[in-house]
Amino acid sequence: MSSELTITAVTVLCLLGVALYGLLIVRNLFQVIIALQILVKGALIALVLAGKISGQINLGQSLAVTVIVADTIVAVVGLALAVQVKRYTGSLDVKNLSTLRR
Amino acid sequence: MSAWLIILTIGFAWLGAVCVWLAGDKRPRAQHTLAVLFSVAAGLAALALIPNTSDQAVISLNAGSVFGQFTFVPDGLGVFLTVVATVIGSLAVIFSVEYMRGEAQLGRYYALILLFIGSMAGLVLTGSLFLMFVLWEMTALCSYALISFYNDDPKAVRGGIKALIITQIGGIGLLVGTLAVYIYLGDYQIDTLLAQAQTLPAGVLSFIAFTFLLAAMAKSAQVPFHTWLPDAMEAPTPVSALIHAATMVNAGVYLLARFYPAFADVAGWKTAVLTIGLLTALLAALMAVVATDLKRMLAYSTVSQLGYMVYAIGVGGVFASQFHLLSHAIFKALLFLGAGAVIHALGTRDMRQMGGLRTQMPVVSTTFMIGAAALIGLPIFNGFWSKELILESGLEGGPIWANVGTLLGAGITAFYAFRMVWMVLFGQPQGKTHVHDAGIPMKTALIPLAFGTLTSWLLIGRFGSWLQATLPYEQLNVESTEEMLLAIITTPATYLALAIVALGMVAWWQRERLTGLARSLQGVGRAAANGFGFEALNQGAVSLTQKAAAALQVTQTGQLNWNVLGIVVALVVVLLVLAGV
Amino acid sequence: MFLNLFLLLAAVLCAFQAIRARQMLAAALWLACTSAIVAWLLYALGAQEVAVIELSVGAGLVTILFVFGITIAGEEIQEVGSLVPWAVAGGIALALIGLVAWFVLPAQEASTAVSEPSFSVMVWENRGLDMLVQIGLIFAGVLGILGILAEKETAEEQARASQKTPTSTPPLPQPQVITTDAHQDTPIKEAHA
Repeated sequence: MSSELTITAVTVLCLLGVALYGLLIVRNLFQVIIALQILVKGALIALVLAGKISGQINLGQSLAVTVIVADTIVAVVGLALAVQVKRYTGSLDVKNLSTLRR
Repeated sequence: MSAWLIILTIGFAWLGAVCVWLAGDKRPRAQHTLAVLFSVAAGLAALALIPNTSDQAVISLNAGSVFGQFTFVPDGLGVFLTVVATVIGSLAVIFSVEYMRGEAQLGRYYALILLFIGSMAGLVLTGSLFLMFVLWEMTALCSYALISFYNDDPKAVRGGIKALIITQIGGIGLLVGTLAVYIYLGDYQIDTLLAQAQTLPAGVLSFIAFTFLLAAMAKSAQVPFHTWLPDAMEAPTPVSALIHAATMVNAGVYLLARFYPAFADVAGWKTAVLTIGLLTALLAALMAVVATDLKRMLAYSTVSQLGYMVYAIGVGGVFASQFHLLSHAIFKALLFLGAGAVIHALGTRDMRQMGGLRTQMPVVSTTFMIGAAALIGLPIFNGFWSKELILESGLEGGPIWANVGTLLGAGITAFYAFRMVWMVLFGQPQGKTHVHDAGIPMKTALIPLAFGTLTSWLLIGRFGSWLQATLPYEQLNVESTEEMLLAIITTPATYLALAIVALGMVAWWQRERLTGLARSLQGVGRAAANGFGFEALNQGAVSLTQKAAAALQVTQTGQLNWNVLGIVVALVVVLLVLAGV
Repeated sequence: MFLNLFLLLAAVLCAFQAIRARQMLAAALWLACTSAIVAWLLYALGAQEVAVIELSVGAGLVTILFVFGITIAGEEIQEVGSLVPWAVAGGIALALIGLVAWFVLPAQEASTAVSEPSFSVMVWENRGLDMLVQIGLIFAGVLGILGILAEKETAEEQARASQKTPTSTPPLPQPQVITTDAHQDTPIKEAHA
């Protein structure tokens, strides 16, 4: 792989790593959605990169379009859920979300 | 053509489930109408399948290399059980219109029943073992949810959970057997297993045979797993009639019948099936004698009759077993629905508080007596012919002690059925004295079933040739209707059985004079009331499962971060395993 | 080369800030920056069309939605201290990424571009099924937005109801009954909406 593509691959990995780290530590529901967005952005670059490497960048792009749409819907539905959660529990803290009996 | 009919049968039922649920509990009238329409449509589609049977897969969906082909085969056995499930299902739904009128949460009730009907039709039509397992579990789930339908009643919840856990034991058996088939044959198709069973190593084949037997025992409530069925009687009565008498509990018998050609030569398998069936038939009949709850008594009777079907498979009478399944599905659904009408009118399930209903509920009592006559095995009624067929195949293929056992069981059956009819319909009215007969929806369900009980045996020859034509692996010795009926009438065993049945009825007439005998049998009666100690075994399995679940609850914090940690750790482990290879 | 390095550093920095920010609005803006940089990176890779979409949707639309949602729900300062210890979180994330890198980075050379249809042909014809699925997704998204909007209305209703209860009801058990009623009613309404 040329050095540019290697660096792009490293970017993908770094974004995935940051997002996973975020999913593990953040407690605000909005920030959970933000971490998910970052995770998907990593996947988005990875798709286009794969298209580039295999010489089919338009195929990679068309898949990336689907990913963007899905990602946006995830954000929208996630935000709606977060707003509802805030209304019912009065808090956005993940810790207060658990209603499982223990 | 048949591909479309299969899709319609399952599709109508499942679509109906969604529609009823969407109609919402604020519109009960729409829910009743939709449920009846969709279940009747599914029943009609299933009936239209009868002239379109074939032994080839008509639907084949490729689900990838791991899951194999998802096929549907409209062969005689599958279509027959589909018709039973959808037709009795639609009658139960029609009955529910009156029985469940005014109940809350009808959407949940009808949606689960329709989901069940579709799953049951899929279960018996599919040609893929994997899909069969999935649908098998779906029926168990519907059964659980419907037993616990009145979820503010702790007894109902306990009964549902017990049924779920016990049938899961069978589900695990089916899954393990299915995976063994996949490992050794590389395919989930039932046809592949039937065709290549003899090429499997003997140990593997017997392992598969016994895991499938375990599945059938748990699902069909055979000893020692029989105690979930009486506890399942907390369900609304139409559900008991449909799921716990006519269809789902037959899935185990269906499984044994379906794979009989593959497992018949496994050493000890037939003997095990025969013994379990006979033991269940006798023990459950004894428990029915001492039961006082009408529905529990019918449940014991169902267990006992299922024992007869399993016994018939054990002696090689697959056709006799399936024919008795048909008769039993009709007359037991009739008995349950009749019992439902009585319970609905009186508001109690205790037989000691019933009596004298014959004059007050003429239609219900007539149909109920027809059903009871079929259960006893009186001539003309369908139960007579199918039970005699089982006894006859027992004479041909079973050991002599088993024949004695089945005859004894027939006598006990006559005794408890007669006792039930007497306590419910005759004698002095107890408790509530003024009751009304069933309304139009209940009659619409009862009368066709009573008609079926009187006439379904006329189909014996056609039914047999139909099964024979589409089941290439089974060797059914089937003749025309006249020949089979003649064979039954001319066998001396028939008259022996009738004499024993009469003896059972006389025993009930003369019960006051038989006090000495009754006292000597008191110990048996007490043991029967306690379920012969198997209850403790079942309860142990249930509480063990629940304790394990409670211990594992620690891992379910319900907190997002910890859940994500679990996912990531699992991913790391998977990658490490991949890297290690 | 240097451009890629710069984009790598910028993207990671913005993403990390979005995770670390204590105020949600700031986090949303950092996410928008990440999105813009990702769009630039996509452009540099030669995926112009997707870059434009990502810039407008990812950096534009999603940010607006976030701001919208945060204003409705109200700003809430995140409590300090995570549930999973940060060292465990960082360790496991690094371990996972390291493993993936070990699998992915020694990949083959880029192959020469094969002749393939143009972007629009690819999207509209070759991947037509994807578009159908996307329509379904967008439908779900519209319902999601309705969920946010409907919330406002019912919240007002609830506020009005809670204002009424102390004045119009006798002191003893009734207020409790009314509040439980309100709680039971609202989910049903939403299910219908």
